[in-house]
Amino acid sequence: MSGASGTLSAPRTAMVGLSLPLIDHIWRVRGAVPIDPALSPEEAFARLDPLLRTPGTVLSTDGEALAYDKPNPSAQDKLATFTRGRLWIERAGSGAVLRFDLFSQALLMCFLAPLLFLGFAQAAIAINAWEAASPEAAEKAAKKDADKAKPVRKLNPVDEFLGAPVPEDPSKKKDEKKDKGRHSPDEGYFLAGFFALVYLAGRWLEPFLVRRRLRAALAGPPAT
Amino acid sequence: MAGVQVGKRIIGADAPVTVGWENIGRVEGGPIKQFVFTYFQPAMLLLAIGFWYYAPNWLAVASTAIAIRLGWTVLLLVLEWVNPRYSSWQLTWKEFATDAFYVALGMTFLRMVDSYVGDGAIIAAVQDAFDWDKFSWFTGLPLLVQAVLISMIFDFGQYWMHRAMHNWYPLWLTHAPHHYITQLNINKGAVGNPVELFLIGLGIGGFFDFLPRAFLLAGAIGMTVGIYQHINVRFNTPRWWRYIFNTTEHHSVHHSQDYEATRSNYSGTWIIWDRIFGTCVDGEAELLGMEGGRRMDIGETMVFPFREGWRSTKAALSRRLGGGAAVQPQLEPAE
Repeated sequence: MSGASGTLSAPRTAMVGLSLPLIDHIWRVRGAVPIDPALSPEEAFARLDPLLRTPGTVLSTDGEALAYDKPNPSAQDKLATFTRGRLWIERAGSGAVLRFDLFSQALLMCFLAPLLFLGFAQAAIAINAWEAASPEAAEKAAKKDADKAKPVRKLNPVDEFLGAPVPEDPSKKKDEKKDKGRHSPDEGYFLAGFFALVYLAGRWLEPFLVRRRLRAALAGPPAT
Repeated sequence: MAGVQVGKRIIGADAPVTVGWENIGRVEGGPIKQFVFTYFQPAMLLLAIGFWYYAPNWLAVASTAIAIRLGWTVLLLVLEWVNPRYSSWQLTWKEFATDAFYVALGMTFLRMVDSYVGDGAIIAAVQDAFDWDKFSWFTGLPLLVQAVLISMIFDFGQYWMHRAMHNWYPLWLTHAPHHYITQLNINKGAVGNPVELFLIGLGIGGFFDFLPRAFLLAGAIGMTVGIYQHINVRFNTPRWWRYIFNTTEHHSVHHSQDYEATRSNYSGTWIIWDRIFGTCVDGEAELLGMEGGRRMDIGETMVFPFREGWRSTKAALSRRLGGGAAVQPQLEPAE
């Protein structure tokens, strides 16, 4: 978690003096999983150890909470998506829950990725317009038209026998793409949409998996 | 670790590598699963060749190839899920999103840059400068011969570029980030510094003139053979296939944490080039990567060649200029 430390009842904010009540849902995942009320906090955290104690993970206590920091988790780290987080136990009546508050740089970057690809699409349009306006473009177009006509290719007799379609006259369809420019913005638009979908899928899937992994770890025997 | 002698080299002394076909894993499951994962690769190659050979001209265009590629990627992702080679290579959301980012960069930014400085632009410039004609008699060859020639010529170039990357430090710096991948999944081929991806895409095929359909057929060979370099699927690959074509097994040896093992299997599609030039090691490996399997994030991948290049240059200069001060340990080209 970035920013100042806080207490359980008042979790710390991303930046001092700045409250991000909704927008931080983009990169933060908060939730709870029920635990056996008979478990002491030490026992519960011991069960979570295999999830947390992976190479490069820094663990610290933050009040009654356990904070972890995974600066560069391995690809198969079960918490690879959530590189920082806090976990603590809350008791209410006879029940108890493990609460978590996790931060994901990957989710944030994935959320921002569409902007980058929209940028590439806009760059493609801008470069096309700039190139079309440059004086060289007219020269090039004139030169292209003056190019000698390409000969119509013939298939090898083997291919004729096997029935492959005859090649088209290459000089025929020259005019079709004339004004489209060198770059297409379509890929950029498509990828912007794609990463928006990947983000939504991740924002749903990753918290689901975290809950499942925490539940499974808490149900298992404590780590030795 | 003892390692295994292959030719004059000891493979697997630093990290575990399985050498020899008799020792690699097999598809586990019933007869249907065995059948599917034995004949999937040849069947798909034949299907792709058949399609591009007979597709009418209006269908035999680049946009069809892109659409097929997309569907094909989804199918291979399903295969990775159904029959993974190693559970330690399982695709996670984060890995998928990261890989997709590199693919996306290739489809947008890299393609835009490539149109100015890529092999197409270089070849056009050379031809303009010397008024060379293309080798146009190639178009009279049978389509499949043209397609195999395109594929093999391109792969020959890739082989030597790739080998050079593993043997010359400045080129290695561009290629090193790709070797920090710790698992193989189908989009991992796109992971790497953009400079490397640009260099590996250079080819001399553009000097020759081929029929457009032959290019599509060559693309089909690449799509149904080269793609398996980076895939987490267990196949019982037929013997003839793994003799001439590159496989995920070969490429996992190349990506192993073992230094000697990485200096093998350089080709993309035709492992036969490695056999000819004496760099082929048949086998497989699970433990991949550099520095004991440290994952390199996107930011570091983008700056790595420049950062390490700067550090090495600075260290070399301080040595030469007689500084003699403690020189920081520099990264060895331990691909």
